[in-house]
Amino acid sequence: MSKRVWNPPVAPHESDSVTAWRSVGEKEGSLNFRNLLEREFPAGDTLTEEEQNVSRRNFTKLMGASTALAGLGLAACRRPESYIVPYKKAPEWIIPGKPLFYASAHPQVGGAVPLVVTTYEGRPTKIETNTDHPDGNGTNAFTQASVLDLYSPTRSQKVIKGGQVATKGELKDALAALDLSKTALVFGEDDSPTRNRLAKQFAEKGATLISYEPLSPKSHKRGTTQVIDFAGADRILSLDCDFLGNDTVGNGCEFSRRRQGGNENYDQEGDVDPEKMNRLYQVETQFSLTGGMADHRLRVAPSRVAMVAAEIARSFGIAVGNPPDEEEKAALFPGGSADLFDQWIGACAADLTVAGSGALVVAGSRQTKEVHDLAAAINAKLGAAAVKTVKTDLGQYGSLADLSAKLEGGDVENVILMTPADPVFDADGFAEVFGKAQTTIHWGLRNNATAWACDWHVPAAHYLESWGDARSKRGVYTLIQPMILPLYGGVSELEFLHVLGGGEFAKGDFSPAMGEVKTTFGELTGKSDSETWGEALREGFVADTSYESAETPSVDLVNAQLPAAPSPTALELVFSTDASVYDGRYIENAWLQEAPDPITKLTWDNAAQVSPQTAKDLGLYDKIIKLETKTAEEAHIGEGENARAPMITIEVGNRKLTVPVLIAFGHADNALTLPVGYGQAADDDRAGVNKLDPDAAVVGHVGVNTGFNTYLLRSAETPYFATGVKVSETGETYKVALTQEHHSMYGRALAREISTDDVSGKGDYKAQLEKVKKQGIDSHVPPNISLYDPKGGIWSKSDMAKKTHLSDEVHQWGMAIDLNTCTGCNACLIACQAENNIPVVGKDQVAMGREMHWIRMDRYFASQEYEYSGGHKVKDKEGNKIANPDWVTQNPESIPQPVSCVQCEMAPCETVCPVNATVHTEDGINSMAYNRCIGTRYCANNCPYKARRFNFFDYNKRNPLIKGNLYKGPFGEKQVGEAPHLQRNPNVSVRMRGVMEKCTYCVQRLESAKIKQKQQHKQKVARAGLHSAKVEIDPKKDLRVPTDSIQVACQSACPNGGISFGNLLDEDSQVVRAKGNELDSIKILKGDNYKKIEGSKRNYDLLNYVNTRPRTSYLARVKNPNSKMPDAKFLGQATINIH
Amino acid sequence: MANFFPRWANLMPLKIAVCLGAVGAGVVAGITYYATPKAQRVGYQPTQPIHYDHNLHANQLGMDCRYCHSFVEHSGHANVPTANTCWNCHSSIKKGSPKLAGLRAAMAVDENHAPLQDADGNAVEGKPIKWVRVHKSPDYVYFNHSAHLNRGISCQSCHGDVHKMEKVYQAESHSMGWCLDCHRNPEEHVRPLEEVYNLDYDPAEYLEENDVRDLDNNRITEPEEFGKFLVAHWGIQPKESCATCHR
Repeated sequence: MSKRVWNPPVAPHESDSVTAWRSVGEKEGSLNFRNLLEREFPAGDTLTEEEQNVSRRNFTKLMGASTALAGLGLAACRRPESYIVPYKKAPEWIIPGKPLFYASAHPQVGGAVPLVVTTYEGRPTKIETNTDHPDGNGTNAFTQASVLDLYSPTRSQKVIKGGQVATKGELKDALAALDLSKTALVFGEDDSPTRNRLAKQFAEKGATLISYEPLSPKSHKRGTTQVIDFAGADRILSLDCDFLGNDTVGNGCEFSRRRQGGNENYDQEGDVDPEKMNRLYQVETQFSLTGGMADHRLRVAPSRVAMVAAEIARSFGIAVGNPPDEEEKAALFPGGSADLFDQWIGACAADLTVAGSGALVVAGSRQTKEVHDLAAAINAKLGAAAVKTVKTDLGQYGSLADLSAKLEGGDVENVILMTPADPVFDADGFAEVFGKAQTTIHWGLRNNATAWACDWHVPAAHYLESWGDARSKRGVYTLIQPMILPLYGGVSELEFLHVLGGGEFAKGDFSPAMGEVKTTFGELTGKSDSETWGEALREGFVADTSYESAETPSVDLVNAQLPAAPSPTALELVFSTDASVYDGRYIENAWLQEAPDPITKLTWDNAAQVSPQTAKDLGLYDKIIKLETKTAEEAHIGEGENARAPMITIEVGNRKLTVPVLIAFGHADNALTLPVGYGQAADDDRAGVNKLDPDAAVVGHVGVNTGFNTYLLRSAETPYFATGVKVSETGETYKVALTQEHHSMYGRALAREISTDDVSGKGDYKAQLEKVKKQGIDSHVPPNISLYDPKGGIWSKSDMAKKTHLSDEVHQWGMAIDLNTCTGCNACLIACQAENNIPVVGKDQVAMGREMHWIRMDRYFASQEYEYSGGHKVKDKEGNKIANPDWVTQNPESIPQPVSCVQCEMAPCETVCPVNATVHTEDGINSMAYNRCIGTRYCANNCPYKARRFNFFDYNKRNPLIKGNLYKGPFGEKQVGEAPHLQRNPNVSVRMRGVMEKCTYCVQRLESAKIKQKQQHKQKVARAGLHSAKVEIDPKKDLRVPTDSIQVACQSACPNGGISFGNLLDEDSQVVRAKGNELDSIKILKGDNYKKIEGSKRNYDLLNYVNTRPRTSYLARVKNPNSKMPDAKFLGQATINIH
Repeated sequence: MANFFPRWANLMPLKIAVCLGAVGAGVVAGITYYATPKAQRVGYQPTQPIHYDHNLHANQLGMDCRYCHSFVEHSGHANVPTANTCWNCHSSIKKGSPKLAGLRAAMAVDENHAPLQDADGNAVEGKPIKWVRVHKSPDYVYFNHSAHLNRGISCQSCHGDVHKMEKVYQAESHSMGWCLDCHRNPEEHVRPLEEVYNLDYDPAEYLEENDVRDLDNNRITEPEEFGKFLVAHWGIQPKESCATCHR
């Protein structure tokens, strides 16, 4: 037998139809990126200056001295006494060491997220979705991270009057003295029936009701709201609506379910059925999560969304004036002609027409009234069944503009602000109007700018400390119950309103907020007995409740006036919701701050985004390339602590702001995107950000010096878009912590994609489906040989072939991640952080590539750079490849891929560990014994998936957010015993410095499930009524954990059901249906009972050719393009090859 | 020049080497014995805030372990009883005893069991009893009581004859090697589920009294054989991988 030598490919292959990249550096082939690919940790493995100061010699000296001292004081030999302190009086339900679960909900704009909260001895530690709830489909990153906010030490803790601490009694007197008829109440945009009921009582006394949040406009609501039922939508045209991201208009999970074409449970013959699959057309400016999932994506400047909407409406015979001229049409397809635009519109409209009532047009909430009207008109024309108009109380409330007018007019003298927003910071010009009010009271979680601007500030209780109620996305009445008494003496929203109405504050067993919720509950259900109430509390919701439906308001169309087309000298600007801080309210949440933005992969900051073409037009592109390249004249390199982004000055009218800029692939040309919410305070003299005032601090260690205040550019006239924006270079640069090149993998067909259409040379859908497993290098590598494969190889004739070779025949764990539904939203990443006690490391450490997230959310871009046909690139007569026009190459697909440890059966990390700290468990997990790890990092070096993370410092003990703290060693500030430590999961070790860590499939959940199952032993004996020695226990029957009863943290958090996890030996489990069960071991184990399950054809192993036999596999993404669209043949081929 | 070193100095290097070797061996032997959990932990017998006598309660009065350690079958932790568990009996038994002063302080009552009041006449909050931990495993060990008790491993196997201890001490080393000894040979410790909390259990006696038969219907008489039978009959496969206890 000849020796098999297999080298991974190093050069792009001619048969790759698309070019894939992650960052500008990678796209431009900088040398630097090659270095990153070949390295274990980016930059992190080189010592910084501070680290070099601690030389080996110094270290030895110190160690010698401390050992000598330790030897002198032998007193340390005796074990320190530790104590067990039981309760005085056992609280009901609490079993020490066991979690207790409560149903609750996280109030949010667009519908509360129903939850089950895990508590340990009264501490909420983890948030899961309430799967019994009709809207209980996973959670988003904000909800997952909200548990950290509960413990935030910078939360507001005192009633403050004019900057001085006051008492609740004084507050009560002040509230009683208010003239309600001259008072305005400003709420958030989340819906709460009890709050609405109480607000109505105040309105009857003459109070003005306002609702305000900076990112949810009210203008087109008219007292009703649309709830979209994506289950019934076959063809969707989204006009700048990020409904899978931050623009909730319905349950996005239904979209993902339809994405699976009837195969959401992996039990359908023929896998994803294109006939049952939905199709999404997305028209947007910057890449959103929804845009990443779209089948056809048109990138347009914000003002052009209306143009596209109007053109579509026109093709349905709806009279809309001002048709665009040829030039404007052609501008959307650079390098193409106006015909392409007509083709796009024509094919899209035809597709919507065919779908009829299954068609849906959704407009983004930040879009203009015209666009909403156009969308409504098209929906009416098509009879779109997915759109449901419902009545909400919230829609009746006034807007902030109404409040300003009333304040100016003197109708309102007192303002009570209860909105989670920060209007003094985020609403342009509000601070001045606000000064006219006599008494201002702010109720909120943080001492933000608004809090300090008000006469009174009342600390709010976190929703995990409060009684309340809410409506979920579809309007189901959902209860919110407290898990813990307010940690910092906060007052819940309903309690505050109760006191405002003349009631008392909570004291002892008396909870006014619960009383108010019970009253609403009684009115709603008609029952007020404790049994019904108790049951509703246990379930977390009242079944069969929903919004009251309303007439769809008729649309009176106005002619959409199109502003002049943007150009490099007059750009358009979009203010976008930030994926980390939302509108700025989560600025103090370290988990969210450190989670890389799903698209830009930026942490701890915001930055302007421009398309590569616009960057070139502005003369920025070459500058950025220089910063990315090691050999450039400027010494900065695009990695590590030296990573820099150039600063630009943006001018909107007479407003100016200097911010860093990033290249954003797939962004519309001649437009800028600015995420909002950052830059609330700084102590480093950055332009446009308020200086941090230590006596009236608006942020703590987490939020200080993060980003730039882009609200400064936002005026009441241009709340979401601005036109005529000018950009100039400053020549300065700004340090950014980007993670996109960290832990980069290489190999072929990492993420795989197929198309339901017959794309050039790749065969029809069925043929493509068959070939998923053979994509990339897997098409021509010889099959892997396994020593453990009993029927193959050298064991075939021996007795070994009869053995299963499984160390555990009861459980073997496996996972399948479906790229068809993964949007890259980061919910899993934060859920993992919460479950597994993963520390935050701070911006400087992230810049060095030392982030600790166990799940790395890879995000690739891919586009067809060269003409391609019949499996090869087309060449002209001279033999040169033919480049595709710009409108193709500049509009790449984006494909996210979460990668954590894949639990290789033949794990390369295990063989190199000198101390056996990482070894396999019997049930197939590549486990980590943290206490055994000595930190050689050999394992990380040998991991082809780069899934291991190393604790370069004691991030848990030393607060990494204080500048230089990590380098002070024992003299640094410790954070042990601080409130955030109460969030820690008691079932997972908190790792210290010098320890390697990684995903272990939530082994703590698996072990506790197995242990719980062992109680079946006793129960079986009891049921049999026999002596225990007479009762047989068969582990495979009695001790196997019930099918799919375990959910790992990432799986449970996923709002799109993209992760399947379970026992590979259990034929009924979903993961087996996804992956199949064709292993010889399973065949031998099951014997005659073996039932073949083929599994999804889209299932493939990442880096299959290195023969690590991973337990986590991936399912290829399916694109469902419309063959009549101009870009159809370029889609569905985003199989990622990184060379 | 005369010889600088006297003749007896010739053997000096050898003597020094031998001595150093002996000292070295002594140090190694000393550390091997004394620096292990077996020497360091076994016998640890701290003084508790209340002199609770297991011999009196569990042995003489015959109370079940689970009366106080009530969640031991359900949770990973074997809970220490809350003060009100003690108070169930001691609100009427040994009223006013000086030995129960700590308990009364926790329940916030005086010697006549009247609620304590401060100077202003407000009720005083009791302070929980701070029991001194006897058996302590490191933070990175996730030992689970319920997993063992529900599969026929008795309290006695790890904690010794607690029911005969007037003042509780650590009876076993609880080192990782000691854990693995049992995980590799569970038959030495497995007993019928009914006998898990019976600390006077004697397998030989048990087999005499009970007719236990193996799969071939032969009566089992030897304790070793009985252990092996139970392990096989109940499918007991103790795990030895790290993640079983370290996460």
